[in-house]
Amino acid sequence: MLIQLKNIIKSYDNGGVVTNVLKGINLSVAEGEFVAIMGPSGSGKSTMMHIIGFLDRPTTGDYLFDNVDTKNFSDDDLARIRNERIGFVFQSFNLLPRTTVLDNVALPLQYSSKKGDAQARAKSALEAVGLGHRLDFMSNQISGGQKQRVAIARALVCDPKVIFADEPTGNLDSKSGSTVMHILERLNNEGKTIILVTHDTSVAMHAKRIVTIRDGDIVADEAVAEAERLHSKEEEEA
Amino acid sequence: MSTYLKQVKRGISSNPSRTILTTLGIMIGIGTVVLVLSAGEGFKSYINAQVDAFGSNTVIIQTSVPASTKSRNSGSDGSANNSASNAVPITTLKNRDVLDMRSLPNVKNSYGAALGQKVVSYGNISKNTFIFGADSNRFDIDKGVIEKGRGYSSDEDRSLAQVAVLGHDIAVDFFGENDPLGKIIRVGEYNFEVIGTYARRGSFGFSNDDEQVFIPITTLQKKILGVDYLFYAVAELSDNTKADATSLDIADVLRRNHYIQDPAKDDFKVQTQAQSLDTFNTILRAVTFLLIAIAAISLLVGGVGVMNIMYVVVTERIGEIGLKKALGAKYNDILYEFLIEAVLLTLLGGVVGVLGGAAGAFLISKVAQSFGFAWAFVVPLWGVVMAISVSMIIGIIFGVFPARNAARMDPIQALNKE
Repeated sequence: MLIQLKNIIKSYDNGGVVTNVLKGINLSVAEGEFVAIMGPSGSGKSTMMHIIGFLDRPTTGDYLFDNVDTKNFSDDDLARIRNERIGFVFQSFNLLPRTTVLDNVALPLQYSSKKGDAQARAKSALEAVGLGHRLDFMSNQISGGQKQRVAIARALVCDPKVIFADEPTGNLDSKSGSTVMHILERLNNEGKTIILVTHDTSVAMHAKRIVTIRDGDIVADEAVAEAERLHSKEEEEA
Repeated sequence: MSTYLKQVKRGISSNPSRTILTTLGIMIGIGTVVLVLSAGEGFKSYINAQVDAFGSNTVIIQTSVPASTKSRNSGSDGSANNSASNAVPITTLKNRDVLDMRSLPNVKNSYGAALGQKVVSYGNISKNTFIFGADSNRFDIDKGVIEKGRGYSSDEDRSLAQVAVLGHDIAVDFFGENDPLGKIIRVGEYNFEVIGTYARRGSFGFSNDDEQVFIPITTLQKKILGVDYLFYAVAELSDNTKADATSLDIADVLRRNHYIQDPAKDDFKVQTQAQSLDTFNTILRAVTFLLIAIAAISLLVGGVGVMNIMYVVVTERIGEIGLKKALGAKYNDILYEFLIEAVLLTLLGGVVGVLGGAAGAFLISKVAQSFGFAWAFVVPLWGVVMAISVSMIIGIIFGVFPARNAARMDPIQALNKE
């Protein structure tokens, strides 16, 4: 198993009032899966993604990543996992301003122990998302859809096992959004595990499995039938 | 490292005018330090030239009001007890003393000197100027260069010859482009033949050699002043490392000649070059220290300014810090990034400060030189190295707190700020 959450609880203490945002999550994701996490805002889906993505730690519970318990990992250990094993794609792209597309994509390699030829790797990652012709553009000179594809290239550049996409189409028009989703699907077909957080059913339909979370609990966990996936795509393209 | 620099360049270029304002305190502080050190070196060169003007490897014998008289007279601290600056003239230093000290083993040469003031005229030009009298030996010891003609000989000195060597400026005033040699000038009631002129020397403190008339000491004593004593004497040493021992020997000779048993009643003071320089250096060090202490306040304020702006920068870039952490930046990656930025800010201020300080010191030297002072423009390398190092250290000290704030930031909270 690539990801195993065992009875994960996350609670916040607000001046004596303890709020449980996650109330004992159990979830396993195998390598190569394409999972959508759905739920309304405030359901705890973002908190869950942060914990799975090692941006946050659970209050209690065990998290096994690639069958290794991560409980005693230091902050720098977690930073290394984020750098080498995980790629993030955010709703608001989060590109560095006044920086070229190429340098934005090369950024994670700066923190990596195996840098290699950073420029060449960043270039091939950009080619993989169809932006090989925009290398020297500044990050503010390209469209929203292109920005999100740059962000995907940045997530890919360290060749991670998992890509976390948090509302990747949230700030995009439907055409750019569908391009981004097709790239994610293609990456999944090439073997990458994709975990997608969204509240949009049509976006979630690109996944092969939908986990629904409500009030800090998983309330549904179902595979998406192939027929439905195709159907949703046709609907989108129509 | 180059990627760090790229990041930092991006940060600094995002708000160039703020960057300049931030580093202003450092610029002023470092500029002041470099200016003070350079001007200090310039002043030192001037003092050295002044001390050296009496000749290399020399000791100076000045007349001095004896301690007992002094306490009765003024109760001063002894710094102003030479007779030249005192109402009581000391008349005991004689030509014989100068000859006697010359027989000491380490004394190679010596001369006595006195100074008078007279109206000197040539044609219809007249000037009230100093008449400097000295043994002919002075031409062998003193650093002045005779440009035209010659100095007077010991025979001329002994025979009260009325011959004069002119300082550069007074020669030009009297004769312009014409040849001054062989011309007759009037000094007081006497006619003097001009036998030489000096090259330009520049002024030394209160006296300006270029405006003076130089004549044999005996001529000055007998014909102009009507006295038989000297104002001061200079001894040239064979071995300057024995200057202290030799000055004691000279003091012994003078005490014997002046019938003094108690050194406290000395009517003279023997000062080596090292002692003369010591006094100046002590004052110079004190002044330098004071000015650098003031500059340090500016550096402190500048450092706080940099710290302040780094806190602002960290707040501005919270989202960016969150992103970098999400992409795998470790504590040290973020820490170094901000630390390097702070150090580059202060380094920038330091470099501009060094250039500004050096420019200021250059201006001072030019102004001093225009007034005729032998003031060199020197920027001490150690001062530059120190200033640059200090500016970098300030960057580290005042950058580390904001940088630690940034490095400690929780990635999610930072990301959510975006």
